[in-house]
Amino acid sequence: MNINKSNPLLLHPLNKWMKKKNWSWFPHQIETFHYVRTGSDVVVFAPTGAGKTLTGFINPIDDLIKLKKFKGLHTLYISPLKSLANDIVRNLEKPIKELDLNISFQVRTGDTTPYKKQKQKQKPPNILITTPESLALLNSYENAKEFFNNLKYIIIDEIHTFLDNKRADLLSLNIERLQTFSPNLQRIGLSATLKNKQDAKKWLCRKKPKIISYENSVLPKIKILESKERIPWSGHMATYSINEIYKEIMKSKLTIIFVNTRAQAEYMFKNLWLINKKKLKIAVHHGSLEKNLRLKVENNLSKGLVDCVVATSSLELGLDYGDVEKIIQVGAPKGINRLLQRVGRSNHNLNTPSKAILVPTNRFEFIEAKAAIEEIKKNNLDKIDLKEGSFDVVAQHIFATACAGQFNINDLYKEIIKAYPYKKLKLNDFKQLINLIQDGGYVLKNYDQFKRIFQLRENKNIYKLVNKRETRKYRMNVGTIIENPMLKIKLGTKTLGNIEEVFIQNLSQGDSFIFAGQVLEFQSMKNNLVQVKRSKSLISKIPSYSGGRMPLSTNLANSVRALLAKSNMWDLYPEQITQWLKRQKYISKIPKKDEYLVEQFPRKKNFYTVIYTFAGWHANQTLGFLLLRGFKGFNYKPLGFVANDYAIVLWSLKEAKEIKTILNLGLLDKHLDNYLEETSIVKRLFRDNAIISCLIERRLPGMEKTGKQVLFSSDLIYTVLKKNEPDHILLKSSYEDAKKNMIDYDRLREILKKIDKKIILKKLTSISPLAVPIILEINRENLSKKEIDEYILEDLENEILKEANVLSIN
Amino acid sequence: MFYQLINFGNEEFHAYPDKSLYWKRLNTLIVSDLHIGKSISYAKNKQFLPPYDTKEILNKIFVSLDKIKPSNLIIVGDLLHDVFSTLSLKDQDHKNLSQYMKNTDFIWIKGNHDENIQIEGFKNLTNYKIDKFLFTHIPIKTSLFQICGHYHPKVKISHRGKTIFKTCFVHNEKIFILPSFGILTGGLDIHSKQISDVLGKNNLSIYPVGQDKVYKL
Repeated sequence: MNINKSNPLLLHPLNKWMKKKNWSWFPHQIETFHYVRTGSDVVVFAPTGAGKTLTGFINPIDDLIKLKKFKGLHTLYISPLKSLANDIVRNLEKPIKELDLNISFQVRTGDTTPYKKQKQKQKPPNILITTPESLALLNSYENAKEFFNNLKYIIIDEIHTFLDNKRADLLSLNIERLQTFSPNLQRIGLSATLKNKQDAKKWLCRKKPKIISYENSVLPKIKILESKERIPWSGHMATYSINEIYKEIMKSKLTIIFVNTRAQAEYMFKNLWLINKKKLKIAVHHGSLEKNLRLKVENNLSKGLVDCVVATSSLELGLDYGDVEKIIQVGAPKGINRLLQRVGRSNHNLNTPSKAILVPTNRFEFIEAKAAIEEIKKNNLDKIDLKEGSFDVVAQHIFATACAGQFNINDLYKEIIKAYPYKKLKLNDFKQLINLIQDGGYVLKNYDQFKRIFQLRENKNIYKLVNKRETRKYRMNVGTIIENPMLKIKLGTKTLGNIEEVFIQNLSQGDSFIFAGQVLEFQSMKNNLVQVKRSKSLISKIPSYSGGRMPLSTNLANSVRALLAKSNMWDLYPEQITQWLKRQKYISKIPKKDEYLVEQFPRKKNFYTVIYTFAGWHANQTLGFLLLRGFKGFNYKPLGFVANDYAIVLWSLKEAKEIKTILNLGLLDKHLDNYLEETSIVKRLFRDNAIISCLIERRLPGMEKTGKQVLFSSDLIYTVLKKNEPDHILLKSSYEDAKKNMIDYDRLREILKKIDKKIILKKLTSISPLAVPIILEINRENLSKKEIDEYILEDLENEILKEANVLSIN
Repeated sequence: MFYQLINFGNEEFHAYPDKSLYWKRLNTLIVSDLHIGKSISYAKNKQFLPPYDTKEILNKIFVSLDKIKPSNLIIVGDLLHDVFSTLSLKDQDHKNLSQYMKNTDFIWIKGNHDENIQIEGFKNLTNYKIDKFLFTHIPIKTSLFQICGHYHPKVKISHRGKTIFKTCFVHNEKIFILPSFGILTGGLDIHSKQISDVLGKNNLSIYPVGQDKVYKL
């Protein structure tokens, strides 16, 4: 259609409001209106600031006005975050109130009071704004069908954040349920710009699928911090550039500093305060901080009451903070999409470019930052890999279905395989998941009398919940996000936030640590509350948070390799980087973009092998473990390895002469099972699987251990199950999860498939310049948990024995 | 299997990594807190743990009996998890048990989990006294040396920046607490109030259980 000739939106109820604001409709809004009106499911791709939220509501509002006093639920809006859901309500409120439209809308999340939720169920609003978890809950109520009977639209906001994880699986299943309830339902997805738009379309759209896309022609202005200081060889804290970062903050009205981890956020924040002579208002924001503290920072940010906020990905989504002038990204960007999302947080005017400064914390990161800037210029985005759906989410969905009433398993199976992530779900696996919910699904049928769901005698295909009480258990367990055991931090009576139990276990009374930007002294731990007081100590630990480590994207990795090989560019880099690369070229080699450089050299009685894969941390970590086994097989007596995003280093007592023979696909096929066995990866994922599939109950805050023995641990269940029933569906599920997420199986496979023909082996007499950063990272032994335990015990016992001998001699 | 030598009440005991304790002079094996059938009793609340714990615990105990061939086996309480647990004992299990009872005297002391449960052919006692030693599930007021269970002791070990939790044998001068011999049983920190109230905080002898060895701290 020719959108210029006639703009149907000029007759839209919101047109008056747009005119009053002096805004005009975007082309993608006009297109969306047209295609949705003619029955298409659509995914709209547009950058922030291009009226995405409004785009989703154009058709629902038009419909609701035409239908006049529509009773009941008409449109469902799914947001990835609770806080975003609240923002949406505020944004929707403006036009609806100002135009006095007769449309009701409400939010429903985990924070909504039970009273309000009850009222919503009795008298639903026209538009309900909610999260995937709340939707799953709504679908588990007995009257779900009546509630959603007349649903016309479902809008999925920020759909790009959903596509590659278990929340997406949960959401996809629930969307199909809504479609069953209301066959005329239409789907509208809203997304940031994406490389593989087709995948997003396949995931969401069923009826006349249509992609609508709006690209911003104004490119962001991104540069690398020009530092007079020496960029360190290794490390992630950017201490070298703190003064220069401070100067950049002073230059802009409002700056957000993005870092990659919570520990970095605390560290950066602390260091900025140490040099804050101008008394700038600097705040910190990350996911472990107490909600109220976070809200306060967000509020100050939107009102422009701060000069700078140090943040993690916790500020990537959400409100438009219009006054943010500059983004500083400290540390490697890791991916193009991620960097763009962060950069887009500044300057929400589409016609002026966003401004950002990248601060590499080490030399490889400099190359990475440079590569990222190049790719953004070329608009070469990362692909989001859609994954096959996880089994545990299906199990949870089966339980939810049973809570809503009796169900026919054939109908349920047919509905589930309509969801894109479960297209290939086998009937046999599905049946095992039914059994899992029924009685744990064990071969040994010990639990016949205790079933949770049972088959009706008159129709074996129909299952029913044994007992209404079980619905409560489902509702306590809903969702796919499993957090590590966290403890609340209390300063006096005030809660500062949550900290990982593991970190606290390593503290003794009187130790100090940094949290929420304050130096705190650990006093005591009682009933899962960590009592602290303020401390003036200068020596303090920074809590580490497991997880959250993003591997370098394949796209950006390729770009880094290409850039590294372009020696004609080197002279444009800072002197120290240029010298580093030139020296590498002289001593060893700079690999071409499709080559894999392997360096070997002796050092301190050991033999070192460094392999530059640029495969990202997950894949390199896995490869390291596999090579360790490979080396053992050749009797090289390997001692350990360290991996980062770019390379792996292994050290052994003997020279690994046959490295070319070892490095190939066979390595993966031969040792992967062993690897999964030995490391705790599958075990850890098993815990998540057991909780998500409702086999064991979630440990919720407030219902912690009551001082009696811990009920049982998922580790023990894993061990018993593995020994007795290695084919159990939950073990299969955990194994698949490990392959999908933790070990980057496919990526590693791709590399190993072609690596043997592309290896460039360099035998050196000593360490090469390129190897220095990773050699510096060698600081820990890579032993399995079991080995570490034994090692600690033995070591401790030896020390005590020694002490005892000394005493007896004296 | 290596054992750790423990001197308690001037007697020689051997602590094994399978969490059993052997009293050499009287050729007596001691175990505690087996919690047989824990999985089945959880199943009645629809928590479906793998139903293999009973089988594994019995195997473990049979292996130990075969190897040590003790004249007595003392179970210091909580042999069974609850009244449902007997459901998990199959005919074959009963047969095996009677077979072993021909050569070994089984002394089953009542625990808080199984004080009201009966198994055919088994008699259970509130406590059991030999010489100056009293075997009881939960320690009582007495001048005797006591060997007990109940608490499933674990010890937190921080060393070189790492912290681990390990199941352990632990005793003070008068009271000895065995770890749980069970499969799906958790544990309690020996410095928790419940255990401190019994053992005190100082002069504890602690023996963490490793993979194939019992250590001494």
